[in-house]
Amino acid sequence: MDWIRVLLSRFAALFRRRKLDADLDEELHGHIDFAIAENLKGGMSPEDARTAALRAFGGFVQAREAYRAQRDLPWLEQIVRDIRFAFRGLRKSPGFLLTAVLTLALGIGAVTSVFTVVDAVLLKPFAFGDPDRLVVMREAIDDAQTGRTAVPDNYRHFLRLQNSATTIEDAAIFGQRGSSVSRNGEHPHIVGTVVASPNLFQVLRVQPMLGRDFVESDAQKGANAVVVLSYAGWQTLFGGERKAIGQTLRIDGRPVPVIGVLPPGMQFPQIALSPKIAFQETARNALLFEPLVPSDRDLKADMGTFDYKAIARLKPGVTIARASAELDALQKAYTLSAHLPFPFGIALTPLTKDVASGISGALCLLLAAVGAVLLMACVNLASLQLARAVNGERETAVRAALGASKSQLVRARLTESLLLAFLGGAAGAGLALAGVRLFIAHGPASVPRLDEVRVSIPVLFFAAGISIVAAITFGILPALRSLRVHPQAALQNSSARAANTREGNRTRSVLVAMQVACTVVLLIVTALALRSFSRLMRQNRGFDTSHVTLAQVDLFTPQYATNSAKGNAVRLALTDSALNALRQLPGVQSVAVTSVAPLTGETWVDNLFRPDHPVPAGKEPMINVRWINPEYLPTMQSPLVAGRNFTAADRANPYVALISERTAREGFPGENPIGQTITNVVPDDQHTVAVIGVVADAHINGLKDDAAMVYMPYWAYAPLTLSFLVRSSQPSDALIPEMRRAIWQIDPQVAIPTLKSMDDQSATPWLLIAFRLSY
Amino acid sequence: MGENRSEVLQGTLDLMVLKTLEAMGPLHGYGIARRIEQVSGNSLSMNQGTIYPALLRLEQRGWIKSEWGTSETNRRAKFYSLSRIGRKKIAEETENWERVASTMARFLAPSN
Repeated sequence: MDWIRVLLSRFAALFRRRKLDADLDEELHGHIDFAIAENLKGGMSPEDARTAALRAFGGFVQAREAYRAQRDLPWLEQIVRDIRFAFRGLRKSPGFLLTAVLTLALGIGAVTSVFTVVDAVLLKPFAFGDPDRLVVMREAIDDAQTGRTAVPDNYRHFLRLQNSATTIEDAAIFGQRGSSVSRNGEHPHIVGTVVASPNLFQVLRVQPMLGRDFVESDAQKGANAVVVLSYAGWQTLFGGERKAIGQTLRIDGRPVPVIGVLPPGMQFPQIALSPKIAFQETARNALLFEPLVPSDRDLKADMGTFDYKAIARLKPGVTIARASAELDALQKAYTLSAHLPFPFGIALTPLTKDVASGISGALCLLLAAVGAVLLMACVNLASLQLARAVNGERETAVRAALGASKSQLVRARLTESLLLAFLGGAAGAGLALAGVRLFIAHGPASVPRLDEVRVSIPVLFFAAGISIVAAITFGILPALRSLRVHPQAALQNSSARAANTREGNRTRSVLVAMQVACTVVLLIVTALALRSFSRLMRQNRGFDTSHVTLAQVDLFTPQYATNSAKGNAVRLALTDSALNALRQLPGVQSVAVTSVAPLTGETWVDNLFRPDHPVPAGKEPMINVRWINPEYLPTMQSPLVAGRNFTAADRANPYVALISERTAREGFPGENPIGQTITNVVPDDQHTVAVIGVVADAHINGLKDDAAMVYMPYWAYAPLTLSFLVRSSQPSDALIPEMRRAIWQIDPQVAIPTLKSMDDQSATPWLLIAFRLSY
Repeated sequence: MGENRSEVLQGTLDLMVLKTLEAMGPLHGYGIARRIEQVSGNSLSMNQGTIYPALLRLEQRGWIKSEWGTSETNRRAKFYSLSRIGRKKIAEETENWERVASTMARFLAPSN
């Protein structure tokens, strides 16, 4: 422990140096005086006594220096001196200082904010016990041509596997949806809800922080409804009151008591139904957990009802390959014995990989891109530093001539770079905080775990790390250059060199200017490319939502949310009155309604069935069904390429459909689709539907693909989720409160989870555009 | 300097200081230096000034402590004395030194 004591006392000495110096001088002079006195007593002359005393003492100055070196922290003082020197140098060129710090701040800020997202999405482990043993379990259909396709789970198949598999410890089955929740009759909001088998938290190894976990009886038929809140849900709905346990929430209109609250680390991952089906936006950020009470259909049906997702926990020491093999074999055997029409198997993916799938490539690309920007910044700073080193050559020479060691010279230059990197890094961390907030606010719903993104300690370490690396990258060359300065030559030829240096400087300045120009050009080109690319995407996406404001209305309360004819009539009435009310708002040109907002991914995915043209089961093309009104196409400015749009006259016989070009290509190859019939589109209704028109292809569900669509009038089926699209000459900011008022005047209990301008895309920063493009 | 004087070995000065303070009680820097010279019979080549970094080192470790006082000639001087840790360390350091010395002696003994 001696060294700690020594270090502390040395450190303490730093703050009392003047006093300690005076003490030392007094002590040493005292020593000499004692010696002189003793020598005088011995009979020396005063002159000799003094000389002898000094000789016996040895070098006075050396003793004092050795003492000080022992007393203080010489290296710390050296660092402080270097920093002070670097500061002085930088203060002399404020332009350089500002440029360097800003450049670095931008580079480091961009890299850090992207890294923050990467860290949360790809690197951070889940707050579950032993997350490495958790796998996502999906059914899979093998096809000779298309290979293996993962599909969601069937409840019956799941139960069978859960009971018979020996490689898994346990498995939980669940669905995710949005539900409308309120306290004490406030306006409800839509929150993500997980409806899961009661063993979910046991499988994940998470225990409620307050209250209790689900028990088996919670999931029995006729059991009283109960809900467990996530930590965030507890904070949002109850403001973190401990009394929340036992209180009642209205969830989709039903009163449900809260029985537990989960710990803060437990954030439920966004697991897609299948890799092809994008995660539903309303179910994002799960705040509520309810027990899954299987319906009779769930328990009996081997086909259909592929509505669930499952997470399994592998037994310790079991590899994914072994578990896959066992489960796959079990499922295949069952498929054969039960004579199922598809060759079902089982596909397992590690939970971490599943949640990040599809996004990791885009994120890494983005990280590489901002990394390149930072590198460019470093290269530029290096050349600027080099120019400065040349300017400072004479100064370096003088320092070398006065006895500065090589390491001192290099250190002086490097300290300057480190100082710049520190300032740039600090500013960059600030920028990253803002950048991350931007990312969370505007990030696409398809990024999993976005709600878990936080600027954390490891991220700050990362920022500090790249600052240091940056400093070394752009500081080492100029620093090493100062070693090559020959003091003699530099000083002797000072007059001749002055001209030389000026000339040399000019070349270097040109070099620097060119480099800066290159970077700027590169940046501009990149920005332009991204901009035009995004414009291209927007032009070719087949619809135009500028000046359109979106209001999403969810009808989850009991009077709407029944599958009966009565529920449909109530929803139809509400949709009609909302459309009328919105049309009355000032400046409104047209009001459209659709069951799903544009660009929110694939939903209501179904097969296209043609009664007159049966294809082998499972070979039918996939389509997305949307319920719209006649004004939808003009509002979205989606052109009709054949046939006609819906008209008010269709209300009497609403069994008519519009299809997109892609649906026409895939479902009616080589035929004229107009006048053909399709079936199984309207829920619980076997009516055949006539195709009356073809709509131009559009990237309506995501920017990447043309969607295969079937549009039907909402008169045939009034959906539970309504997206009103209002095209108006009024700015969105003015329109938004008006729209909210108009809708709540009809029913104050409906939830309006989204109310925003569809122009948002154009305001999206380039980083996010890049992100959307690369995804 | 005399040809029969030897340099002070690294680390031995510390032990000499400790033993001096043990024998003499509180003493100022000059006193310690003189005492070491006398005990060694002037066979050590040592600048008196080098005693001060050694004293500081021991004080930083907490083996000795110092305080200002007045000498017999009525001059202000800093007096050094052993701390409790220092007293314990003397035994340890002595043993250490004896081990080194005996090892050296074995190397230097005429081989037969």
